[in-house]
Amino acid sequence: MSNPIWKRFVALGVLACLATLGFACNFTSQGDYFGSNEPPKLNVFRYVTGDEPQSLDPPMSLGQPEARIYMALYEGLVEYNPKNLSPIPALAERWEVNNDSSEFTFHLRQTGRFSNGDPIDANDFVYTFRRAISPQLASTNASLAYYIKYAQAFNEKKVFVRDPGSNQFLLAKDFEETETPEPLSSKPGGTNENPPSQAEAKPDADLAFHQLMHSPTRLTLPGTEKARTKLLASNAKLKAAVEGKELVPVKAEDIGVEAVDKYVLRVSLAQPAPFFLGLLAHQLFRVVSRKNIEQYGDHWTEPGHIVTSGAFRLKEWTPYNRLIVERDPMYWDAATVRLDEIHFYPMADNPSIMNLYKVGEIDAVLNHTVPNAWLDVVRNKKDYMDQKEAAIDYLQINVTQPPMNDVRVRKAFNFAIDKNAWAAWRKIVKPLTAFTPEGIFPGYPQPKGDDFNPERGRQLLGEAGYPVTQNSDGSYSCPKFPVKEVEYIYNTQESNKAMAEWMQAQWKQNLGITISLRNMESKTFLEARAKLDYKGFSRGGWSADYMDPFTFLSVFYTGGDSGTGWQDTKYISMLDQANRMLDPQKRYELLAQAEKYLIDAQPIIPIDTASVNWVKKPYVKGMFPNPGSLFPWKFVYIERDRSKWDVGTPSLAE
Amino acid sequence: MLRFIIKRLLVTIPTILVVITITWGLVRLAPGNFYSGEKKLPAAIEKNIREKYGLDKPWYQQYGRTMWGILRHLDFGTSLKYQGQSVNTIIRRSLPVSAGVGILAYLLALIVGIPIGSFAALKQNSRWDYGSMALTMLGISIPNFVLGPILVLIFSLSLYWLPPSRWDGFLSRSIILPVITLSAVYMSYIARLTRAGMLEVLRSDYIRTARAKGLSEKDVVIRHALRGGLMPVISYTGPALAFLLTGTVVIEKIFALPGLGNYFIQASLNRDEPLVIGIVAFIAITLLLMNLLVDIAYAFLDPRVRYQ
Repeated sequence: MSNPIWKRFVALGVLACLATLGFACNFTSQGDYFGSNEPPKLNVFRYVTGDEPQSLDPPMSLGQPEARIYMALYEGLVEYNPKNLSPIPALAERWEVNNDSSEFTFHLRQTGRFSNGDPIDANDFVYTFRRAISPQLASTNASLAYYIKYAQAFNEKKVFVRDPGSNQFLLAKDFEETETPEPLSSKPGGTNENPPSQAEAKPDADLAFHQLMHSPTRLTLPGTEKARTKLLASNAKLKAAVEGKELVPVKAEDIGVEAVDKYVLRVSLAQPAPFFLGLLAHQLFRVVSRKNIEQYGDHWTEPGHIVTSGAFRLKEWTPYNRLIVERDPMYWDAATVRLDEIHFYPMADNPSIMNLYKVGEIDAVLNHTVPNAWLDVVRNKKDYMDQKEAAIDYLQINVTQPPMNDVRVRKAFNFAIDKNAWAAWRKIVKPLTAFTPEGIFPGYPQPKGDDFNPERGRQLLGEAGYPVTQNSDGSYSCPKFPVKEVEYIYNTQESNKAMAEWMQAQWKQNLGITISLRNMESKTFLEARAKLDYKGFSRGGWSADYMDPFTFLSVFYTGGDSGTGWQDTKYISMLDQANRMLDPQKRYELLAQAEKYLIDAQPIIPIDTASVNWVKKPYVKGMFPNPGSLFPWKFVYIERDRSKWDVGTPSLAE
Repeated sequence: MLRFIIKRLLVTIPTILVVITITWGLVRLAPGNFYSGEKKLPAAIEKNIREKYGLDKPWYQQYGRTMWGILRHLDFGTSLKYQGQSVNTIIRRSLPVSAGVGILAYLLALIVGIPIGSFAALKQNSRWDYGSMALTMLGISIPNFVLGPILVLIFSLSLYWLPPSRWDGFLSRSIILPVITLSAVYMSYIARLTRAGMLEVLRSDYIRTARAKGLSEKDVVIRHALRGGLMPVISYTGPALAFLLTGTVVIEKIFALPGLGNYFIQASLNRDEPLVIGIVAFIAITLLLMNLLVDIAYAFLDPRVRYQ
């Protein structure tokens, strides 16, 4: 058609495209900061914490997005240090730990208040702990509390065994094949305890309970008839001992939490756990109001009903839109709280979140939000948070099937990946050869795994019966390797895909083996991995629940939990032995030995230590890019004096 | 007419039940559970959860319980993912947002699309005709997940006029970009449908009669031609409106709107069975009702349909 109108439209189209391009260039904004840096008019902090929270009931969600909301609404015995996440006093103003870290005594401050004005005392914590662990609540997090004496048995609905004649309970130690020493918390008497101070001194409120805690651990059996019969059938000694005895269900009252006094709480553990204190800032242990929950049942978290214990209280909650919390005048430390309100916006789409940030509608974003393609621009800005995260990326290997059941083959695939090149390409991560994130746990002598060495990899494959030959053009091939028996699965996500393709290319280049990739919908992937319903490799990632190497090493501690099929009793006993160490440095050394043992067995291929990767406006102060991206909100404030703004990543040094 | 409506309504009920049953089955077939996460749960905890939500019961009991709740009280149960929130509440809360944005977008599409289409038909083969039809072709071919970000890029990130996402209610600036983005495709489609319908009608005998009677061109177009010319638009309106009312996943995701579409996609990804069933049933009902309304509207607009 020769109609001139067409030409005009073409011209218009070209103009429009140019305009868009012009905007796009404009978009790669100049200036020191990414987008607007005008502080909000009101004393309000606006934040995207991630997708819609599952619940405002703290034990009911595992997620980090929710954890940050719970940190505004609820307080625990301890709080995270904003810079390094070590425990700092919160509702407990001080505490004592016995010699082997198996018993903790907390002295609560008497000024603690719920948002409705009710005082918070030790009994509220006893209720909170018992509720969190109860099988009826069915919290997905409950296993974090299994270190508490009889907590696991209570959560698993187990039973004690009592002799009706003598009223004595059967003891666990009489039926153990290998003897494990009892922790000090189980030793009789109170010699290792820290008695309440003079002012608080009172006889133990619950003497029978105290005796239960300080007696050797009782035997527990499965609560269901079926599981019990199965267990007894395999153990004749046990069967004979249980014959004619009474079964007594483990109750909430049996777990190792005790209100010694109105403001003294004692927690007895089933094993020494030096990291337990750090774990207590977790949402599972943040205090909730019994009165409130019993009054409203399942609906207690609704606005108008909810009673909270933190620095902020709920003001408004419209799901998928916003959740507003306001300063709580009842909070014991209300004078420290500097923000009037925090607005949490539930969002999951990273570009949308970054857009909001750029135009200044929000003041900070959650971790892992800057898209890969934006990094070149955003990483050079002074509001980019560049710090290592207590999280790792790795590949899991299904070790139950050939050829990956051969450790030489697993090692060959590890040797063939140039992790330094990967980290350089990914820009913000750090290469990793071990199973704990690097440089996160001060003083931990992290072991070193194998470095990139494709020559050694090809040699190992040859030893395993799959010789690698070099072609005339310099490339490699490994014709004998059963490529049909190995694949790489990952859940659909841009960054996972990039990683999968990168690994695939490395193996092809260095071993001459092309592994097929398969992406899967998220839940389908998790199911396949958990059930070992895959061949070869699967994407893996782990982030810290608390600040101790054990949070990573314990992935292979509870059997079958790892998605690899690798189980090793020696590894487990190495960890046990380490945790029994009274000297923290000695414990770290033993943990490091266990970690070395793990990476030598290579059920996983470590890839990198992750990066926090988020941005905050320079006027947001008191918010630090700590390795867990968890922020005690009472320290956060908006600074209006430009000379005091953060320029670049704020230091994490104390 | 009344008999026709009642008959159609009666057919709807078994259809909905079949839809619910199939959805129930499909959610179960999908691998994974609402509680499965990156960190695998210990077996005992998984067992506690299954007992709490009745998942340890045989399938027919679970199916019976679901259906009983729906039939007895129209109660779709409680979301598994969003603890303590009932499915009915979630739908009641998120529907107004989706429906509001959808209706506004469709109104905008009608207001702009029909005049453009009619005008193009009346001036067939003129530069306006070609121009507007080229534009509408562009409108149809640019998907909203492209158009949305482009509009955001221009109006939010460069000009700082409008917020790039989030919801502040109907009477706020935050509604402008989602409505425009959503309506673009419908606007273009309606313009093209109107043009085609009008062209056909304008050539028909009764228009010639109307003109022969000496009616003014305005009366011919508005009273006679437009009525017939809009038939394709009407039949398109039913399914389009049903789709718009129940939320559009893409728009709600891009602009972070608290609508039904957002919940729908999340519910399926989360394996949140009660919520998926509730939303699917709701969409099915809306779709069937909209089609019924279209049939009724047809009867009013076109005497031929009425007398059949």
